[in-house]
Amino acid sequence: MSKTENKLKGRDLINVGIYSAIYFVILMAVAMLGMIPIFLPLLSVIVPILGGIPFMLFLTKVKKPGMIFVMAMIMGIMMLLTGMGPWPLLTCAVAGILAELCYRSGDYKSAKKAVVTYGLFSLWIWGNYLPLFTDYEGYFAQRQSYGQEYINAVQRLMPLWMAPVLLIACFGCGVIGGMLGRALLRKHFAKAGIA
Amino acid sequence: MSFVYGSDNAATKHENSLRNVSLAVRDGEFVFLTGPSGCGKTTILRLINGLIPQFYPGTLSGEILINGKSVSDQELYDTAGLVGTVFQNPRSQFYNVDTTGELAFSCENRGLSEADIYKRIDETVADFHIKSLMDRNIFHLSDGEKQKIACASVSVAGSEIILLDEPSANLDYEATMALREMVIRWKQQGKTIVAAEHRIAYLWDLIDRAVILRDGQIVWELSGAEKDGLSISELLEMGLRSTVQEPPTDVLLPDFAYGDEPIVLQDFRFSYRGEKREIVSIDRLKLAAGEITAVTGANGAGKTSFLNCLCGLEKRCKGIMEYKEKIYGRKERQKICFMVMQDTGNQLFTESVLEEVLISSPKSAEDAEKKATELLRQLDLDAFLDRHPQSLSGGQKQRLAIACAIASGREMLLLDEPTSGLDYAHMMETAQLLKRVQAMGITLLVVTHDSELIHACCGRKIVLKRG
Amino acid sequence: MRYCSKAAQEKRRGFIDPRTKLALVVIIALFVLGGIGGEQMEPVKTGLSALPFLLLLVERQWRRFLHGLLVLVLGYGLLLAMPYLPGVLNYIALMCGGILTRFVVTIVMGEYLIGTTSVSEFICAMEKLYMPSTITIPMSVMFRLFPTVAAEWRSIRRAMGMRGIRFGGTKAGQVVEYQMVPMMTSCVRIGEELSASALTRGLGAPVKRTNICRIGFRIQDHVLLLLCAAVIGVWILELCGVTLWWS
Repeated sequence: MSKTENKLKGRDLINVGIYSAIYFVILMAVAMLGMIPIFLPLLSVIVPILGGIPFMLFLTKVKKPGMIFVMAMIMGIMMLLTGMGPWPLLTCAVAGILAELCYRSGDYKSAKKAVVTYGLFSLWIWGNYLPLFTDYEGYFAQRQSYGQEYINAVQRLMPLWMAPVLLIACFGCGVIGGMLGRALLRKHFAKAGIA
Repeated sequence: MSFVYGSDNAATKHENSLRNVSLAVRDGEFVFLTGPSGCGKTTILRLINGLIPQFYPGTLSGEILINGKSVSDQELYDTAGLVGTVFQNPRSQFYNVDTTGELAFSCENRGLSEADIYKRIDETVADFHIKSLMDRNIFHLSDGEKQKIACASVSVAGSEIILLDEPSANLDYEATMALREMVIRWKQQGKTIVAAEHRIAYLWDLIDRAVILRDGQIVWELSGAEKDGLSISELLEMGLRSTVQEPPTDVLLPDFAYGDEPIVLQDFRFSYRGEKREIVSIDRLKLAAGEITAVTGANGAGKTSFLNCLCGLEKRCKGIMEYKEKIYGRKERQKICFMVMQDTGNQLFTESVLEEVLISSPKSAEDAEKKATELLRQLDLDAFLDRHPQSLSGGQKQRLAIACAIASGREMLLLDEPTSGLDYAHMMETAQLLKRVQAMGITLLVVTHDSELIHACCGRKIVLKRG
Repeated sequence: MRYCSKAAQEKRRGFIDPRTKLALVVIIALFVLGGIGGEQMEPVKTGLSALPFLLLLVERQWRRFLHGLLVLVLGYGLLLAMPYLPGVLNYIALMCGGILTRFVVTIVMGEYLIGTTSVSEFICAMEKLYMPSTITIPMSVMFRLFPTVAAEWRSIRRAMGMRGIRFGGTKAGQVVEYQMVPMMTSCVRIGEELSASALTRGLGAPVKRTNICRIGFRIQDHVLLLLCAAVIGVWILELCGVTLWWS
């Protein structure tokens, strides 16, 4: 493939936009659940699973490097805009590059790699939890005023070891979502003529 | 010579391919392409604006020249300056969320200066009298208004060649006439226009040349004088729709005739959330059971909302329906009414046609599958039992939705614009189908702008006015 | 009167430049949500927390203001009530309160940004910030499609209601399937048509795109940007060990 053919064109960019829109709407619908904070950790389970459906369809349109990365960055920017802070931008960049490399190694068509790609892509969601874990000590130092009881309780609910657990959950559920997406792809979208 | 378009073999899909078509269009000419669905009208337009082969891949032999330059070899953005297109679906062709941005879009892409773009917009707005549409959210416009904006944006871009790809398919009578005004304006400005349409009436007297296609070939080419000499039967023979533009509200039919069994609607009121004005406001309305009733009225008169209320889909509509001395509230109506929506694809869920009918059938019946197959055979869908519903054509999806309604034992069938964008043959097919459904003892309500459909099958008519 | 697009654009211009809003979002996220800075920053943070609420009031976004306030009150209420609640409820109240009070300020700021910025203004700001078109084009498509996706979703849910398809809790998978498949199919089709229309209008041409949207810094932007700089200034001074005030 020559270099100019690898450049992203109008159509590719619009495709990124279409699937980002669907993915983000799903994300937001689930995030409404997350407004009830008990469900917050569940976000790293539900979003990767449901998001796998549009993402797997998206991957069938990805034939050039950069599209996955762009989508990841857009998610980062959207998170910044909706007030989740700049941390998702970082995780998005990392997850985007990893996913990009993975799908590329499968020559943009390997089905197995596609599932792993989505698992890696889902890692970006972890960025939303980062403010809960960064500056953990400082956070509690500031909340001394609420009393020791409060601190004990929070530590039991959001212990530091939850951080890697959530990260793994993102990846694992991403893979599950990827497989679900593949299944629907075969069952519906291929037959409906849009994949 | 504005463009030549020689011996093409564009095979995108088998249905829409062209065979050996050559067509030369002069500067300032208005050429009208028509013919049955799948005849290749749209394919020709896509060749001219370069979407084939740049966007829709296919095999193309021959060439398309505009002012001596080959379109198929140049990038789409180079063709964009020369050729402007108005597409069929008003909902999917705008790129911006606000109207002003939409008008400026094409010029912005070409990198024209801001001052120049402002000047062009102001001129176009004055030209087309669309001041009231400016600075609005496009999602709050009616389909007719959206289509006006689409036309205006082509004008702002200043393209010399304008392509119209069935722009009137979703429009009511008034909006279609407004579209006609825009075309007249373009003609005065000396633009070259190529239109592909099923509805020929609103443009018939304006065109310089009519080209009638069938199966990817040009079968007739009529000059202005020749086409005016055609009789109605000759037109029908060519598979064309009526050349007489008749507002659907003018078709003479009773709303309720003596001897009809009445279905009485009472207190149907509905307004959008946050809006005071009622879009549906019916104190008492008698419908004829067992008949096909046409529901007409301008865009925005609340026809679709009326159907939604009738189906019991609007929670805030408290109206009741009385039929055979039984009162139906919202929940009960949900069980006896079925609506075939404009986007039929959105109401089909499963992975095969047969499955789709089965989920609507009563679960207890043992021979459900046999019955479903029989029903599908009656509706000419038995060849598609295993096809994915989303891969069917528009008309087939419609029939499948109707099959589901019948399978679930509904007594009222409501259809929202069943014939928008259909050619004459398909429109008649739909009309026949509706009659067959009527014969099964089902009451039909058809929301439509299509006077020909009303003539072909409807026995009663009601007109809705805003409020 | 003749329509004048330039004047109309001028009139529609937002109170604050989107770039200023972005700067505020980042600063608030870093300091209030991220909790950067020590004891000395506390009063600064309190001030920053009030800012989005203030801005919502200035732009008369009553509903968003009340929503934000409600969540804030709820959050603090839960924290206050927490010690008096028994067992499990205690934890739940604590967690809800803690998370709500933590996120509410940045989310209100985000609400403000989204509620008061038009899509074209935002894209224009992105272009002025030298974002490449590889990011701005997909984002503008995305904003364009949000209402469409939402409308399709609604229409499908209605259709399911009409077809009489209802599920108990056991068939969650099928609900997802039935909703997602038609929604994706129709969104992808609309997207295809949208691409075709955009491309015939020259999207993606290799020239510098113009944007007729009017944005630019005015006095209120300068004040707010200075404020952002001041916040960073205070933080740096604190890092250097300067004592600014006694708390």
